[in-house]
Order: sequence, then C-alpha cells, then structure tokens
Amino acid sequence: MKRTRTPGISRRSTLALMGAGAATLAAPWVARAQAKTIKVGMPTILSGRVAQLGTSSRNAVMLEVEKVNAAGGLAGRQIEMVIRDSKGQPQEAARVARELVNTDGCELLIDAEASSGAFAVHEVARDLGVFCIHTNSETSSLTADPKQHIPNAFRTARQGVHDSIVGGSYAAAIAKAKGLKKWATCSPDYAYGRDTTAEYVTYLKRFAPDVEIISESWPKLFQPDYTEVVTKILQAKPQALYSCLWGGDLTSYIDQANIYALFGQMEVFAVNMADYTALTVVKNLPKGIHSGNRYIKTYPATPENAAWGDAYKAKYGEYPTNWSWENATAIMLIAEASKKANSADGKKIAEAMKGLKIKSPFGADGTVTMRGEDHTLIGYAIGWGTTIPQEPYVPQVQAGDWKTILELEAEWKKSKGYA
Amino acid sequence: MSEAQAEQGASTLNVSRTGAKSQRYRDVLIALIAFTVLASLPMLTSSKFLLDFVIRCSAYGLFATSLNLLVGYTGLTSFGHGMFFGLGAYGYGLVMQKTGVSIPVAFVATLLITLVVATVIGAICVRLKEIYFAFVTLAFQMLIHSTILSWVSLTGGDQGLRGGIPRPAFLGIDLSNHLHLYIFSCALLVIGLLLMRQIAQSPFGYTLRMIRDNAARASFVGIDVYRAKLTIFVLAALFASVGGMIMALFVSGAYPEFAYWTISGEGIFINMLGGVTTFLGPMVGTVLLLILNDTVTRFTEYHGIVLGIVILFFAIGLRKGLMDFAYEWYAQRRDRERG
Repeated sequence: MKRTRTPGISRRSTLALMGAGAATLAAPWVARAQAKTIKVGMPTILSGRVAQLGTSSRNAVMLEVEKVNAAGGLAGRQIEMVIRDSKGQPQEAARVARELVNTDGCELLIDAEASSGAFAVHEVARDLGVFCIHTNSETSSLTADPKQHIPNAFRTARQGVHDSIVGGSYAAAIAKAKGLKKWATCSPDYAYGRDTTAEYVTYLKRFAPDVEIISESWPKLFQPDYTEVVTKILQAKPQALYSCLWGGDLTSYIDQANIYALFGQMEVFAVNMADYTALTVVKNLPKGIHSGNRYIKTYPATPENAAWGDAYKAKYGEYPTNWSWENATAIMLIAEASKKANSADGKKIAEAMKGLKIKSPFGADGTVTMRGEDHTLIGYAIGWGTTIPQEPYVPQVQAGDWKTILELEAEWKKSKGYA
Repeated sequence: MSEAQAEQGASTLNVSRTGAKSQRYRDVLIALIAFTVLASLPMLTSSKFLLDFVIRCSAYGLFATSLNLLVGYTGLTSFGHGMFFGLGAYGYGLVMQKTGVSIPVAFVATLLITLVVATVIGAICVRLKEIYFAFVTLAFQMLIHSTILSWVSLTGGDQGLRGGIPRPAFLGIDLSNHLHLYIFSCALLVIGLLLMRQIAQSPFGYTLRMIRDNAARASFVGIDVYRAKLTIFVLAALFASVGGMIMALFVSGAYPEFAYWTISGEGIFINMLGGVTTFLGPMVGTVLLLILNDTVTRFTEYHGIVLGIVILFFAIGLRKGLMDFAYEWYAQRRDRERG
C-alpha cells in the first residue's frame, strides 16, 4: 500500500467536478427561470402486444396539444410533450415516470398505462406530489378506493363499474323481451376478465332475476386457438353469451366462432366489440352482436364527435381507439382547468379540476365532469347497440342513463366498503 | 480478484490460511471504499436520476450476482431465478401491508419465507441436471407467477399489491426519504456482494466449482453433491429475494411481472453481458444493461432492435461477457510482459 504519490483526485479534476456539480445543481433553476414551455411527461406502452393502443393515446394527445398550443398554451406557456415507452412493465413505468419528473423537468404527468402500470405510476405521484391524470386504467378501485386517493391524481378513463351497470341493465331488458334465460360467459382469465364478468352478471341478475349462467369459459389472455371454448359453448346450448374479450383476442374468437356459425345460434353480448381496433379487423363481422361503445365516431351522434374522429383519421390514417378519447379528454381538462386557475402550476390545476365540467365531443350530453369527491370522470358517452358488417358498424346506440349509473355506483361503493 | 486468478492460486496449493485471511481483509476494504464512494455520491450531484439508477442497480445487481453463484460457480443454469426476486418483493410488501411490523422484522420474515420456499423447490430441482434443471426451475417460476395472478384476495392478482407499501421509520432511518432509501440500498448491495464474495471464495465455494467441473469426481472425493447444490440454491434465492425487496421499496408496490420469466431472462442476459468467470461480471452487466435500457428508451420505442443487436455482438462477436473479455486481455498482456 506504500506509494510515494497517491493517485487521488487532482486539483484540476476537483475543480472540474465542483464546476460540473454546481452546473447540475443550478440547471433546474436556470431552466425554470427561462421556462416558456411547460413539459408534460407521459409514460405509455409503445412496444409489445398493446402498442397500437399506446400509439393511439399518443396520437390523440398530440392532436389536442397542438390545438391548446395554437390557442396560447397553458397560462401562456406552450406545452411540450415528453412521451416514453414503459413496455407495459410496472417497474419501468415507475422508473420512466420518476425520470420524467426528476430529470426531464416535467411538471405534469399523463399516465397512459394500463392495469398494474397505472398503480405503479400512482405511487410515484404519491411520492413526488406531482400532478397526474390516469388516462387508460379502467380498474374501479384506482379512484373508488379511499386508500388510493391522493389530491394530485385524477382519472379520465371510463370506469369498470359504470360499464357493468349499463351493460347489465341493457342485457336484462333484452333478456326479458326475448326470454333469454340460459346464459354463458366467455372472458379472458385475468383480473379484468374475472371482475368485469362478475360485476356484469351481478347487474344482469339484478335487473332480470330469472337469468341463469349455465356455462363459463376462461380462455387465457392472448390465447391463439378458441376451438375448445367455442365447442364447449355450443354444447351447453345457451340462449345468450357474454364476453369481455378484447382486441386481437376478440377478433380471433369471432373469426373462429364464425366457422361454427355460433352467432346464428345465440344472442352475443361483447362489451369491447364497438371499437375500431376490433371492428375493422374481423374478417366477417356478424350482424347483430350487442356491444358497448368504446370509441365510435357516430356515437354520440353529434357533429363535434364526427369531426373529431375524422380529424384524427385525416392526420393518422386510422380511426381513434377507446384510449384515444380518454387521453384527449385529459388534455382538454388540463387546458380548461389551467384557464380557470389562470396558472400552469400543478397544484392550482388540480384544485381547479375538482368538479370541473367541460364541453366535450365525448360527453353523453355534450359535457363531461371530473367528479370532485373521487377524481374520476363521469358523464361520458356510454351505451350499447348492435353491429352491422360495414360502416358505421353500430348504427343505433341506446344510451345508458347516468342517473341510474350514479345511484347504483354509490350502492356498489357502499357494498365494497369504499363509502 | 477474479475467479480465474484465484483458481490459479489454488492449483499451486498455496492458499494458506493467512493468504485467505488477507484476501478477506482486502475484500472488506474494497467494500468499504465502494460504499463510501456510493454514499458520498449525493453530495457531488443533486441528480435524483443517478440515485434512482443506483437503487435499481442494487436490486438487479444482487439478483444477477446471486444467479451467477448458480450459473457461473455451480453450473446450474436456472431459468426460474426470478421467482425469488418476485417472492422477495411480494413477501416484503405483504408482510408490511398486513402486519404493520417494522421494516427489519419484515425483512427477516421475508428471508424466512424465501428460505422455506427455496428449500422445497430446490430439493426437487437440484436432483436434475442441465436442461432438465433449467426447465423445472422455469416451471416452478410459472407456478409461482400463476399463483400470484389467481390468488387475487391476497396478492391483488394482475394489478399487483396496491395502495403503497408503508415505510415506517426505524433506527433513525426513514425510507420514504429518497436519500435514506438510496443509502439503505447501497448498504444492502455492498453487504450482499461482500457476503456472496465470501461464499464464492470459501472452501464451500471451491467445492461448488469442483461440482461444476466434474460432479462425479466430487462425489468420489466424499462431497455430498446434492446437499452442496441445495445449499447454494437456497443461498442464491435469499440474495435474489433481497434484490426483490429493494425493488419493492423503490416502486412502493409489488407486481406479477417481478415473478415472470422475463425477469429470469434479464438475469441470464445480464450474466451474458457482464461475463460469468469473474465475481463482479454480473454487476458490470447490470450497469451496462440498465444504462443501455435507459438511454435507448429515451430515444426510440424500437429498443428491442438495439438490445438485440447488442446481444448478437456479445454472443457472436465477443463470444463472452465484457468482464471475461477484459480479464483475458489483461492476463494475456501480463503473460507477455512476463514471457
């Protein structure tokens, strides 16, 4: 260990290090002082199986941000989006979200993550206190559970329980009218599939008590072959079938069930059918599948909604998805809240956003509201209709009644111990 | 420093007790220096990004190095090592959420859970060799992953453990403070690496190398191969579990992805990247992979292509990990100087 000259850090490099340190320390302040733009961070899924949905989220956000910037930005500051891929992994979503805030200096977050990723980003928002809007997670507990509640996080995605209430009451009405008593279910085998199906069945039975579930199938998520599921359902001979398969799973299921002429033998209720990602991909879309609306430009049947869908298609060459409207709504709400607070500060925006009602192409009555008590979106267009094989795919949509939805939601919250 | 060096020493039968002792002191000294450097980092920079990076390095580094105890030292290529990473994260998160005990107690409890599970799984797996071992470990990993997914009432299913993991202060350490969490992770990393180093350099560590090179000979010498393999399997699981706990602390949650096979895959990839013949190879691999991942995802969503090319470069170009390459280069130069 004896050496004449210990090779430590030289004076010059010490100075350089100190200089670099000072620069790093000062950088955020300098940047903030000069800030004309406001950076908005957005972790989303841009690779892997659901990349298409992540991309459609990004597209919708950029479409709206352009409009906001053209109108002067957030309290005079232009929005600069910083969008990064989380690969759909929660630990990556958390890392990216932290990096966006801590390193890139983003002052607001749009969390366009699904499922577990949204909960991971939620913890980051809790930790850092940064303003955050969840745009894609439909899991009810994210906002309904008081344990999850933080003052700086909101959600513009539809909520699972709303879908179940509307879907259940719509199906019950048809079940009564057509005498459909024997039902089968076929949903993907993970939390979303299990929970959504259970809630749907609860509300179906509530409105039509003599309904009976005679067969349940739980294909794996991303299962390529549905033959055994289709034959199992056919053998059970139900009068109606419920499914919350989505995306590629739903389209392969329909293509394969078509071979067995399943759709002629029972009424089919597929909540995720009326989304362009499914409607445009199925080879022979059967007539008369009942579906909840995800995003279609013909419902709500207003010129604003049609114009929005067309503008999106003109810019990106494809129709928007369910995730698109949810993300667009986030930007619309931020812009409106910032106008109301006359500030681009996250805390003030959060305060102004509570209970904020804005005009929206996606609203059931032309408006949507960010409910103050639990920070989740209500009043969005939600309804069910039946398919036809060509555009507009779902010509008649029967609107869900928000008064009933809110009453039953409050009851559901109580039963879960949330309220 | 490296295993190859140490093996050379062993082959000349010169590893005296005093030599082993002085090496141990040197290891402790290096560990102390490393910890001091890491701990003083926050004074040099205010970059939270860097601190986050080191915390993640601690989690993955412990995981990958413990995997190397199996792959590199014992010749047990486990494809399911990620299950213990996930088990650590879930065990810790659940104990904290359900019982409200202090953090050190939860830590020990999680290690005990891992000990039991790893002993049971190990007892079945280590009877097998090569591809059979690899696939049975993979099967157990998928079993644990499926259990996490379907046991919704306990684990929250595919949404993960929600609501945050409480971080009550203990002994003046408050892990909800970013700086404290950082120092805590660094300490775990350094202690973990030091312990694993001691295992690798102990007589038991050399027994493992012998089993790797010729298990039949080892058993003829009188070594209980099964017991040695089971012991290292359980020890490696414990260190992986600590990695999982650090990750759970970092994200304040636990998610089924932590127990998925892709985590095991990343562990194997890190070992390929860093090299398996030197002790610090996996640590270097971890740093490399995380830097690659973080920089590439900043610029493109086609990170898969970039990472794929890097793997190809290492697998076909170098044909070994970075530290292996560096060590061989160094050894060649030294030999040339001597010769």
